[in-house]
Amino acid sequence: MSSFFAAIIPLSSGILGALISSLPISLTAGAMPPPLLSFMAVYFWCLVRPDLMPPAAALLIGIVQDFVSGSPIGLWATAYVAIYAVLAEQRDSFAGLAGIGAILGFALAVLLASAAVYGIGAVYYWRVLPLMPHLLQVVVSVLCYIPLLPMLNGLQHKVVGPLRSEF
Amino acid sequence: MANGTWRSGRARSGGRVSLLLAGIVSVLLLIAGKVHFLPVDRARTALTDRAGTVFQAVNAPVLAVTRWFSGIGHFFSVYSENQALREENARLTQWRGAALALQNRVNHYRLLLKMVPDVRYSAVTAQVIARSSQPFLETIVLNAGKANGINPGEAVIDARGMLGRIYVAGDHTAWVVLLTDLNSRIPVEIRPGNIPAILAGNNTDQPVLDAIPQNAKLRDGADIVTSGDGGLLPAGLPIGILRFDGKQMKVALYSDPLTAVDVRILDYRAPIEQMPKPADSDLPAPPKLSPPPPPTSPLQPSAQAVAQPSASAARAPAANPAIALVRKSPMATRQPPPSDLNTGSRAPAAPSDPEQYPAPAEESPDNQDNQ
Repeated sequence: MSSFFAAIIPLSSGILGALISSLPISLTAGAMPPPLLSFMAVYFWCLVRPDLMPPAAALLIGIVQDFVSGSPIGLWATAYVAIYAVLAEQRDSFAGLAGIGAILGFALAVLLASAAVYGIGAVYYWRVLPLMPHLLQVVVSVLCYIPLLPMLNGLQHKVVGPLRSEF
Repeated sequence: MANGTWRSGRARSGGRVSLLLAGIVSVLLLIAGKVHFLPVDRARTALTDRAGTVFQAVNAPVLAVTRWFSGIGHFFSVYSENQALREENARLTQWRGAALALQNRVNHYRLLLKMVPDVRYSAVTAQVIARSSQPFLETIVLNAGKANGINPGEAVIDARGMLGRIYVAGDHTAWVVLLTDLNSRIPVEIRPGNIPAILAGNNTDQPVLDAIPQNAKLRDGADIVTSGDGGLLPAGLPIGILRFDGKQMKVALYSDPLTAVDVRILDYRAPIEQMPKPADSDLPAPPKLSPPPPPTSPLQPSAQAVAQPSASAARAPAANPAIALVRKSPMATRQPPPSDLNTGSRAPAAPSDPEQYPAPAEESPDNQDNQ
């Protein structure tokens, strides 16, 4: 039972991140968009424990993010699955980063995800969308990833890590 | 190891298949995604209903700090702002007299033309307890909901102008989709000229105008108000000022969602067109029947006896049930208009009931209407 709960932590952390980031509470009175907490979970667990973060989990987290953020259904889900494919192909490169490199790796990944969302959104709404909200969201997400990374590492080492996995 | 290689190879191909399936599902969701998910809206309002007090408690210090910082900026310009306000006050005081005279004239014209009075609507005052600015959703949350009579689609205004419309309403909270939101499109009018257009949000602080007639002549600084088309929003709500930005026509909004605290939600329903009630003089006069001819044979007196009751019935027009119904039907009653809907540059609304119109002022024939 404990292994089951530990196994659903990656999925739960993504869904919880989507719910928290979509709460209508803003420390900047709505001037800045909220960080992509759900994508942080997808990125981290995809690199560290890909067996516990399969593509279906990334899809589900993306769907939840769409529901709670007011985006068209499938928008963030498509972006998350696309970035998951990139991370799966380049897992060795991204997983080997440490320190500032880990932050920069996440910055690149979230930039790609926002670019994917921007492109899909432009086609969906059939108009040129403003770029600034997406860029601001990338910046805020990177800034919030810095303090969250040690927490995710602690979660992996102390709770999820004892589980065995087969690659 | 061969087995490990085969196992890792099969895992990789299985992962690719699941990735491909996930991609297909997400694209299908996107294609079929233009659906209004009621369970999502209900979940959203249930969450804010339960967490409304938490939002208020968390947002209060944030608002206080924001106002403190903005107050610092105002401190350095207080003298110049004071001078500008004095000049504007003097100018508006002159306009007040002209506006009152024009209002009396309009009331007089309404009486002469027997105009149907404007529809009045009630309003609910609420406070903003939370704000959210996502790339695809710009919204604020209010501390009033269905229990206060708020329904989706109603206009939300503050002291300066329109902010947005109610998106979803829970029991005690409501979400507002702002005019700047990407999903916001409302019918508006450009004055002068009453040129129709559509105000479309674009996730910036200046939404754009769409669907403008081709030969429309526009000028920078024109007034943008709601047109009332479609019966969803009341006509005449102030929105902003037209600004040319290259080839695009943008609207500088009067209201600022970032600083709005107290807002009003207008309970407006488009009136059902009713036929005017006929007066007594509009109804046809009852036919005047000529007296029956005298009987020529002993068999005729029965016909005479039959003819008399109908003639007597025709001479009693006051017993007509249609006229009695018209006389007894009451006048429609309306709510008093909200007093602070108007900005300083707009004239107050006229009273609805013709019997309550103030006596028109004496007019000089040389006066011209200001347009």
